[in-house]
Amino acid sequence: MIRALALLWSLGPLLWQLLTSLRPPDALVGASSALPGAAGMGGWTLANYRLLLMADPPFWRYLLNSSVVGLAATALTLVLALPCAYGLQRLRGGLRWATLTALLAASLFPTVLLFLALLEWARRLGLANHLLALALPYAALSLPLAILLLRAALADLPPELEDAAQLEGLGPLQRLRFVLLPLLGPAIGSTAILVFLFSWNEYPIALTWISREPLLTLPTAIARLGSSSVFTVPYGAYAAATVLGSLPLVVLLLLFQRAIVSGLTQAAVKG
Amino acid sequence: MSALELRQLARRVGGRPLLHGLDLAVAAGECVALLGPSGCGKTTTLRLVAGLDAPEEGSRILLDGRDITHEPPGRRRVAMVFQSYALYPHLSVFGNLALGLRVRGVAPRERERRIAGVLELLQLADLRERRPAQLSGGQRQRLALARALLRQPALMLLDEPMSNLDAQLREELRPELRRLLCGGEAPVLYVTHDQQEAIGLADRLAVLEGGRLQQLGTARELYESPANRFVATFLGRPALNLLPPQGGRQLGLRPEHLRPVAEAGLAARILRREWMGAQQLLWLESERGPLRMLLGAESPATESLRVGWERRHELWFDGGTGERLPPPDSPVMEALC
Repeated sequence: MIRALALLWSLGPLLWQLLTSLRPPDALVGASSALPGAAGMGGWTLANYRLLLMADPPFWRYLLNSSVVGLAATALTLVLALPCAYGLQRLRGGLRWATLTALLAASLFPTVLLFLALLEWARRLGLANHLLALALPYAALSLPLAILLLRAALADLPPELEDAAQLEGLGPLQRLRFVLLPLLGPAIGSTAILVFLFSWNEYPIALTWISREPLLTLPTAIARLGSSSVFTVPYGAYAAATVLGSLPLVVLLLLFQRAIVSGLTQAAVKG
Repeated sequence: MSALELRQLARRVGGRPLLHGLDLAVAAGECVALLGPSGCGKTTTLRLVAGLDAPEEGSRILLDGRDITHEPPGRRRVAMVFQSYALYPHLSVFGNLALGLRVRGVAPRERERRIAGVLELLQLADLRERRPAQLSGGQRQRLALARALLRQPALMLLDEPMSNLDAQLREELRPELRRLLCGGEAPVLYVTHDQQEAIGLADRLAVLEGGRLQQLGTARELYESPANRFVATFLGRPALNLLPPQGGRQLGLRPEHLRPVAEAGLAARILRREWMGAQQLLWLESERGPLRMLLGAESPATESLRVGWERRHELWFDGGTGERLPPPDSPVMEALC
């Protein structure tokens, strides 16, 4: 019973969104709109999706843009965060404590306050309207949290593992490749998902850095759907865009879920 | 010539000295146990020799005549068995053994041959696909040993390799460990806090305390002529009786050297008897403080008795520094009573 409630609580809004996206516009603003289940009025339609995919540029273009930015931001974050986390873990004494505190403070900082400064930088460095340039602020903003997460995972590994590998003749990169990375797999996976999600959902920076239509990322593209008219709100199109925008995330999580969980249980066993 | 030589090996962490200028020479094929309470510097020594920590300026480590003080650990041809075993949890038994060979560029066929050999030697052949988590404590210990042997080291280091095993298994494994370790040319440094293990495995014992070498010698030398009060108390079970110091001198008597006497000696009263199979340990309250005495299990059960000993068994120490002193000219037993 409680499980069913929890399921409804978390899946309900998604289901509502999905149903809304399949309804013609009239039905949504009609009298029975409060009950999407009451399909008597207007019936079902794929018109919302057709509208999105036939538009110029087609909607999948934004999905692609967001994926490119997300992947680039995630890769950049991980490549930078891993050595930082490793170095921090090796650091002893007050300096480590101070750095960790500073990182925590940085990860708690409200990013919205930064976007004007970031915009100024984008203008000065000519980064506006470059998709990959957008990955730079995303990676920068994700770094503190990513470093904290990876460092915590590193701290959980017994330090003798690296000592043993060192004595066996493994160099730093070999230790990373053969010992640390396989054991950090789950932590890297969950960090990657968090960074990707942040980048996927980010709005203010994307809004200010990207103005050319074919380069928009999902959140800004969805926001623009309604801008054609002040008087009507295209609920159906919004819903369809949200569904399309969530699909890749759902697929991603389903794909990674098993690997993350199995990796977690494996790492939990002491060697 | 010694295979391993440590000269003035020292380490300090944050101004706090962990090891004060240790000098130690180990011959080829010799097994030396570093023995001492926790925090005495024995693991520190091992990590310095392995190259995992850096020693202070002026320290020197020589292996087969070559100065390896500043060589990186991977190039020292030193293998180490860790207290926690430090097995790679994500790799199978075979994978744990193969990784080192692979990065050192051993060809696959040769790799396979050598791993098969060491698996056979340590009776791990049936377990080659298991993960460390699926192995018992003894099997993990053997795998850690197999990995170290596979390194074909010029020096073998073991850091309390049996402390995670139960007492019975430890006793069973001791001869096996001795056979594997002490057969070869490579010297062995074995860290333990268990004197029985050290005596059973090592050719010589190095007793450490407070980051200083207290004494180096065979178990018998250490037992019969300890250099100071610490070594005398640390070695031998039940531990040495120390009488209260008198005139700057302190007398130590081993419980196994005490016996009941008809006259002279110290008057004492039995507080408790501890049965130990063939022997019994008596806890006594004597006129010169508490004493422990080891007796045959069949000894009479008198409540009070007189305790005596032979003069040659007396161990004399400086009451302050604990340094060993020569016995006094006149017999003391009479003087005490």
